[in-house]
Amino acid sequence: MIPSRENIIARVRAALRAEAHRPTQPSASPIWPPIGDLETRFRDEFEALRGELIVGADQLREFINQFGCIATDGSELVRTTVGDGNASVRVADLGVTGCDCLIAQTGSVFVTTRSTGGRALSVLPPAHLVIARRDQLVPDLASGFALMRKRYDGHWPSSLALITGPSRTADIEKILVMGAHGPKRLAVYFEG
Amino acid sequence: MTAIADQFKRAAAEKAADPHHRAVLQRAIATYDAAVARGKTRFADWQNARAQAAQIKWETINHLDRYLEQFERQMIENGGRVFWAETAEDAREYILRIARSHNVRKVVKSKSMTTEEIHLNAAFAVAEIQVVETDLGEYICQIRGESPYHIVTPVMHLTKADIARTFHEKFGTAPDATAEELAGIARAQLRHEFLTADMGVTGANFLIADTGMITISTNEGNGRLSVSLPRIHIAVAGIEKLIPRLEDLALMWPVLAASGNGQAVTVYNTLLGGPRRDSETDGPEEFHVVLLDNGRTRLLADAEQRDALHCLRCGACLNACPVYRNIGGHSYGTTYQGPIGSVITPHLREAREWSHLPYASSLCGACSDVCPVRIDIHHHLLHNRRNAVRLRFDKTWERWAFRAWLWAMQTPQRYVLAGKLARVALRLGLVTPLVNPWTQGRELPEPPQHTFRLWWRNKGRDGCPQASVKKQPRRAGDNAFYQHHE
Amino acid sequence: MRVALFIPCFVDQFFPNVGIAMVKVLRQLNVEVSYPPQQTCCGQPAFNTGYWDEARQLARRYCEVFADAEAIVSPSGSCAAMVRNFYPELLGQATHVTSNTFEFSEFLVQKLGVSDVGAKFSAKVTYHDGCHALRELRLKNEPRELLRNVQGLELVEMSEAETCCGFGGTFSVKFPMISYAMDDVKCESIQKTGVGYVVSSDSSCLMQIGGYLRRQKLPIKTIHLAEVLATT
Repeated sequence: MIPSRENIIARVRAALRAEAHRPTQPSASPIWPPIGDLETRFRDEFEALRGELIVGADQLREFINQFGCIATDGSELVRTTVGDGNASVRVADLGVTGCDCLIAQTGSVFVTTRSTGGRALSVLPPAHLVIARRDQLVPDLASGFALMRKRYDGHWPSSLALITGPSRTADIEKILVMGAHGPKRLAVYFEG
Repeated sequence: MTAIADQFKRAAAEKAADPHHRAVLQRAIATYDAAVARGKTRFADWQNARAQAAQIKWETINHLDRYLEQFERQMIENGGRVFWAETAEDAREYILRIARSHNVRKVVKSKSMTTEEIHLNAAFAVAEIQVVETDLGEYICQIRGESPYHIVTPVMHLTKADIARTFHEKFGTAPDATAEELAGIARAQLRHEFLTADMGVTGANFLIADTGMITISTNEGNGRLSVSLPRIHIAVAGIEKLIPRLEDLALMWPVLAASGNGQAVTVYNTLLGGPRRDSETDGPEEFHVVLLDNGRTRLLADAEQRDALHCLRCGACLNACPVYRNIGGHSYGTTYQGPIGSVITPHLREAREWSHLPYASSLCGACSDVCPVRIDIHHHLLHNRRNAVRLRFDKTWERWAFRAWLWAMQTPQRYVLAGKLARVALRLGLVTPLVNPWTQGRELPEPPQHTFRLWWRNKGRDGCPQASVKKQPRRAGDNAFYQHHE
Repeated sequence: MRVALFIPCFVDQFFPNVGIAMVKVLRQLNVEVSYPPQQTCCGQPAFNTGYWDEARQLARRYCEVFADAEAIVSPSGSCAAMVRNFYPELLGQATHVTSNTFEFSEFLVQKLGVSDVGAKFSAKVTYHDGCHALRELRLKNEPRELLRNVQGLELVEMSEAETCCGFGGTFSVKFPMISYAMDDVKCESIQKTGVGYVVSSDSSCLMQIGGYLRRQKLPIKTIHLAEVLATT
């Protein structure tokens, strides 16, 4: 019996005895326009965010070769596509992970600590490469959450992260600068 | 006028008269306006999005006890710890206790107005625990020893040159460094801090009741780094940050981002539901959420203004406010600024001392128009003014002035006499102290020779008697005359 | 069609020609006008300053004075908004009097269905949206439609058309420097349009803007929408 907890809940209950006015009811009108073709939409959104879409095994090799020190999340898909990166996440200049799904609506990648090697791997190294399958692409945030709920309900990982583009800031006089703290480069490769 | 009100008036007057300051603000806000206009086109029906978001917050706030208990239950099940802080002091004490018991030497902080509200950094300083602000804007504020200027853009008031100068003084970097170079310097400095900090302190944009998670949104990634590397993570959040379900984020994240700065969603939206699991490779060993009351239950009890607690802290009302655009954030002298700040501060803090803020508005209503959760902000300013009068925070002379004014308005004879006196005073240049401040910079109008009602009685009625209206032919040459106002 | 005129106190006392112009335009459209001489003030100054008890007494008075009116028309967005939007909160409910109070341009366009009153006014003008007309009554196109049909008139929009001029009643007296800065922003925007006149449907805004323009000795004049529409 924690007094502060009881006090706050008691004050909340007392406060709510008075009824507040209700807001105007939302209409049935759709909030979002149609998504269209998922791959096209994802590419458009992702590239507008300065994400790099890697197409084909040659481009993938070219991309990987830019980095000397690679850390991977140890997942099956990543291992079969690029192999194992043994660098420590603290010194790696590229982190390679899978993902749970990708969102066409916003050009986002949805990862969790369970599916993608922990918290730091997808944010600490200055570049992040995501290996994905085409069937992981879903239309919108709602379907992304539905997928996560189905997969993890009742046994959630400690963290989920929706990543939408490389890191950026416009704090300095509204001038856009990439790579504030998180990765300066974010790339996605669709396998197969 | 209280000392705080006096201070506000002086600070506001100073900033309002500063053309450089205004130019910087206007530029920042113009960029914001353009981005938000673009961002809203992503919605097929922005107005309906607002209505739905308002509905979600209404549901939460009006059943807050239920959602608080659910959140706590789920958090505990996930291995997290929940602390209920009735006051700012309680929150500070708890956080310091955890820090001390774990021999914390260094804390990395992700941007959080709530931690500003409880003056956490000052408490850490007293305890000789180093605190590093990791959001670039807040980091710059910290180096400069200033408090953040705006909910979303902490250094809106500084130019790149200002920041380059600061970095030059502090780090010896080139005085004409580019924005990219400056950000790069900060990144390198802060990377070291992330890697060596003992504890991460953040706020939370939302608390999710049904899964017991918090969300943190940043564009920089400092939020994610603050909660990935240090061994302890403490999140401080007002009790009003709750939403019922995880799925509600499919709307709330885009709505917050669209109003905040025109994005589809913020770059990093992180959900945190507990310390690291056994199978996970990293993450904090301990995860605490401090649920903060600090006057929120007072606002909750005010059923009329309760929806002020729906606020998402997006900053849109600040950017829309013509007062804010001229006086900036620091002038307010308190954590929550601009229109929503002026509504909630008299509730969260001492009412009498802060009763001037709701008056520092022309009630233009731009704030209510942009609020993504449809808070009736400018009408609440009116409600706060009414409350201030009811509680007799007003000056005695003002109270009597309005009583006298009412008396004068209650019959046409008194009203006509009052009008006559006013026009005479105007003509004789007997400008009253009341009107005087207005005339600093503006010419008073020329008082007319006659009133409308006099004209109506002598000419305008056009022969139509008062009681019954009969159609009369218009007299030839009867043209209403007019003058252009000069 | 019969309307009762609601002439705001400051229009009656300081800008009577605005009321006179409105009468002229309405009569030209065959609207019968009456002017209940018992009217005084709508109570907005008290209401906005937090003196709701005082304002409520004037609200009740207004409803009595205009009890027999079919429609009530006012050359002021802020006063019409006070009656239509805020009287119900003061009195506990809307009444037929509060619901039938209209701002002038609103009445012409929405109720009479008229957007061309046959006026002639050869000048380049810009329109200032008073906040109450814009955000409380949701009027934006009505005054512009009327102005576009004025012969010889060229309407130029200013970038800050919807930005508050900074009057806000007692706000301009309690926080004069903020009010002045807002006035400055407004007038800078007006000047950029190169117009000869700034038009609005609120005389209080025109007084705020005009006061600044005259102090700065700028050649731009202020004129009320009704006065433009009454010019032939």
